[in-house]
Amino acid sequence: MATGTTVRWIVRTFSELCLTIGSLIVLFVVYVLFWTGVRADSAMDGELGRLQDRWSTGPVSAASPAPDDDKAQEPARPAYRDGEPFAVMYIPRFGRDWAKPVLEGTATGTLQKGLGHYARTARLGATGNFAVAGHRRTYGDPFKDFPRLRPGDPVVISDGTTWFTYRIDKRPYRTLPSDIGVIDPVPRASGYDGPGRYLTLTTCEPEWGHSHRLIAWAHLDATSPVAEGRPAALRS
Amino acid sequence: MYGWIWRHLPGNTWVKALISLVLALAIVFLLFQYVFPWAEPLLPFNDVTVDQGMEAVR
Repeated sequence: MATGTTVRWIVRTFSELCLTIGSLIVLFVVYVLFWTGVRADSAMDGELGRLQDRWSTGPVSAASPAPDDDKAQEPARPAYRDGEPFAVMYIPRFGRDWAKPVLEGTATGTLQKGLGHYARTARLGATGNFAVAGHRRTYGDPFKDFPRLRPGDPVVISDGTTWFTYRIDKRPYRTLPSDIGVIDPVPRASGYDGPGRYLTLTTCEPEWGHSHRLIAWAHLDATSPVAEGRPAALRS
Repeated sequence: MYGWIWRHLPGNTWVKALISLVLALAIVFLLFQYVFPWAEPLLPFNDVTVDQGMEAVR
């Protein structure tokens, strides 16, 4: 009698435990595959909205001369603040509507809200290497189609005053996570042989793994003031 | 475990069912809001940079 009750209790508790763990795993998969995307999309929309607000009201959009600012004839562009958005990236290859905010820094929390600019690399459009990291999977999958990048593809970035059109120079390059030379001012293995205005994009490889990284390099091809409208690369 | 909880919930069957539902939803909310955001960065999907933990090298 007593043994029967004990056995039944053990079997029941064990099955309940299995059910609980199974439900937890299913919920976690839903969270990773679906919920992070929902959260990231709304976070990215929020960052894009903040940029639009700042550009429409702040001093950045003051393309017209600001006579009251007399001491700074060539006003120093504002420093990027960690975790704050400062630009919008467009990659037509990833879709006509593909537009993501670029935030300063590559901290985990920053990359959940958009693309992250490696803090110690060059500024947008400057000589050197403007390096940006983004999620390939989860958190809105911004770089999901990364392997489809081909030489000649435009990567257009706006900082509110200027459109910077970069052109991809090589098919995505696969490397190891420790290969920090790929974001050097003259990136290692990129084929560039001298200083220039470069762009580096990094994401994870394989798609769901972390054993490697996928790298794409581009050079600055053209710039145009925002006032002149969208650049040719985005109009087609 | 679940039987024990069920037996300790107050009220008749309908009240128990309602409380169970609320409890389940509360647990799902806690998981999505606090537990999963903590656990997810421990998985490899976040490693998209080439210099993680290598700041000191530079």
